[in-house]
Amino acid sequence: MSETFRTCPVTRFKVHSQADALIKANAVAATIFLIVGGIAALLVLLTRWQVVHILDPAWFYRMLTIHGMSMLIFFILFFEMAVLYFAGPVVLSSRVPAPRIGWLSFVVMVVGALMVEWAMWTGRADVMFSSYVPLKAHWSYYLGVILFAVGALTVVGLFFAALVVAKRERTYEGSVPLVTFGALTAAIIAVVTLGHGAAIYIPTFFWSLGLMHVDPAVYRLVFWGLGHSAQQINLGAMVALWYMLGALTVGAVVLNEKISRSAFVLYILFINMAAAHHLLVDPVAGPAWKVWNTSYAMYLAVLASMVHGFTIPAGIEVGQRLRGVTQGMFGWLRKAPWGDPGFSSLIFSIVIFGFVGGITGVTFGTEQINLIAHNTLRIPGHFHATVVGGTALAFMGATYYLIPLIFRKQVAFWSLAKIQPYVFAFGMLVFTMAMTFAGTFGVPRRHWDITFSNSSFDLQYSPAVDLVIGVMAIGGLIAALGGMMYILVTVWSVFFGRPFDLETIRAEGRT
Amino acid sequence: MALQMHGVPRGITHPPAPLPPGADHEHPKTTGTLVLVFVFLAAFAVYYFVNWKLLSLVWRIG
Amino acid sequence: MDSPQGVWWKPAGRAEKLWVGIAFGWCLVLFAMMPLWHLKGKQNTTGIRSRVEPAAFQKRTIEFIQQYQIGNEQGIPVVEPPPGSDVYLLARMWSWVPILKLQKGAQYTLHLSSIDLNHGFNLHPMNINLQVVPDYDYALRIVPGEAGDLRIVCNEFCGIGHHAMIGKLIVVDESEQTVTYGGGER
Repeated sequence: MSETFRTCPVTRFKVHSQADALIKANAVAATIFLIVGGIAALLVLLTRWQVVHILDPAWFYRMLTIHGMSMLIFFILFFEMAVLYFAGPVVLSSRVPAPRIGWLSFVVMVVGALMVEWAMWTGRADVMFSSYVPLKAHWSYYLGVILFAVGALTVVGLFFAALVVAKRERTYEGSVPLVTFGALTAAIIAVVTLGHGAAIYIPTFFWSLGLMHVDPAVYRLVFWGLGHSAQQINLGAMVALWYMLGALTVGAVVLNEKISRSAFVLYILFINMAAAHHLLVDPVAGPAWKVWNTSYAMYLAVLASMVHGFTIPAGIEVGQRLRGVTQGMFGWLRKAPWGDPGFSSLIFSIVIFGFVGGITGVTFGTEQINLIAHNTLRIPGHFHATVVGGTALAFMGATYYLIPLIFRKQVAFWSLAKIQPYVFAFGMLVFTMAMTFAGTFGVPRRHWDITFSNSSFDLQYSPAVDLVIGVMAIGGLIAALGGMMYILVTVWSVFFGRPFDLETIRAEGRT
Repeated sequence: MALQMHGVPRGITHPPAPLPPGADHEHPKTTGTLVLVFVFLAAFAVYYFVNWKLLSLVWRIG
Repeated sequence: MDSPQGVWWKPAGRAEKLWVGIAFGWCLVLFAMMPLWHLKGKQNTTGIRSRVEPAAFQKRTIEFIQQYQIGNEQGIPVVEPPPGSDVYLLARMWSWVPILKLQKGAQYTLHLSSIDLNHGFNLHPMNINLQVVPDYDYALRIVPGEAGDLRIVCNEFCGIGHHAMIGKLIVVDESEQTVTYGGGER
């Protein structure tokens, strides 16, 4: 396997050829699953918008399952594998230890993902993302998830190995950078999360073969140790990327390493228990268990997010002020490079994650308030704001830097790329707020027909619901347009883009 | 203004200037951010307590 | 992006300390609200939680129906239990059994369970949501707050017929003495 180093002209990192190649492979896989999940998203949206109602029930539930798995597991985890190779070997100017194992894990993950996709597309796994036992899928579905998780866990192990190798070979001095530290917390959470995944999918796999019994309530408990904790991997990776984009776009400073790093540690310690908020209206746990896990534990993780929500904008503000942008209270924000898609994505990601996703999440995760939120549209409204408006948008912003720095291509359709974060963020903002609001009327999630046209009893939601669902659909369509712009730009840049050479571009005198 | 077909983010072509030496790291001014986070906290508190109010309107259950 | 050199465990700036303190204080408020609502609030999720075999729950429900049945609607028994009693609501693919007729302002102990998959209890239009899990009996003391012809929507995916799974719940106001049930023979 060829192993050479190049020095990045922008960041001065020494980049290992295998790190380059593994980042590219994982990012391309992520984009393919983003396309699959995106098509499913559009079809699901156009079915829930009762005016169009495009799919029949079987394909609606199938597409919803495909949308959930492709986006929440395959797209996000493949991208996070790329982030781990970047935040480890690249940022530390180190080599990738055992690149063959990296490629092997990649193949295992692809095989696992394809098994799951096959089971879903052939109607063998119409079980939703959560696949609550005793709702049964074909065994290949569970086996595919297990393979995918094993592959991902191996990459996490490689990331830890890279930290050890970099330290031993002295490729950096002092402590690891904050971006790497954040990725490390994501990696540690990933170990815990994938451990839960093994603990639940392996018994469920045997159950699907008729070899053992799985208790429905235990399944829900352990599954959410995977299902929600997986979102905390996104959270760790996203916050690490926030710090990175802040530094790259405007030279944001880290106000205080102690505070920012302690906040990351709070995630590791407490976020796992917060998964208990999925069981707030379940017939098993008592109030003490619910309150302990979702308050004592969860609120310390919430505290961590509120700390990052301050330190990142404050780091940008201080970075700008120290460079002489000192006009007024918000001059640092007005004079920021809003035409840089990396910067606009960063700001929109923080705003949507915090204001929409964060506030609704903490509120719905309150023991008693969950009574008026559980399984209504308020829930997907919340997590689309965190995972899509927050994480996916941050990933998009990072991509605009990944293309020149790692793929060494110029970003194609640059004018489109510049407005893409605005279109996507605006669409998601409208979509998530409308969806959350529709849930306030009790409109259920995961439901093919809220007009109940073929049911034994009639049910009519308030006319306001039609309006709100219409707004949701329009927001979703705008966001889908933003998503298509992103895919067009990235695919075109990577496969047909002009090579990126810093010296030539500077010589040409273009931006 | 012609549509630009190719480009590279500003952070790469015009990387942020290095911090001026002797910049005051110890007492940074963050008034703008403080205002923003207080707006956030206010929004949070309003949404949170509105939901307790909504909850108090439903049936007695327990 | 840069590696901090030397000791980075330094005291934080004033604004940062202020915000961490305020955020922590807010978290304490969030924390206090839940126990407080257990003491003062009227909506809680505690209930009585126990294991139950699906067959046993089905048997109890059938006995309950036989005891208090007053009619039929759409092939589903309509049941009017006395105030204060234990009432049973069984979820299955894809219906809620039976149709309960309750009195406004009276307290009942509502038992929820499923005999097949997970289901979701969503009372329309009050928007009260509970998870219904097979093998577990979730018993909650409820007091209907208003009279009306209500619906129970299933909001947990339970197979291809999920969206057609809708039940009915009637609440009458006895003080008004005017509401009679059309389908029933009293």
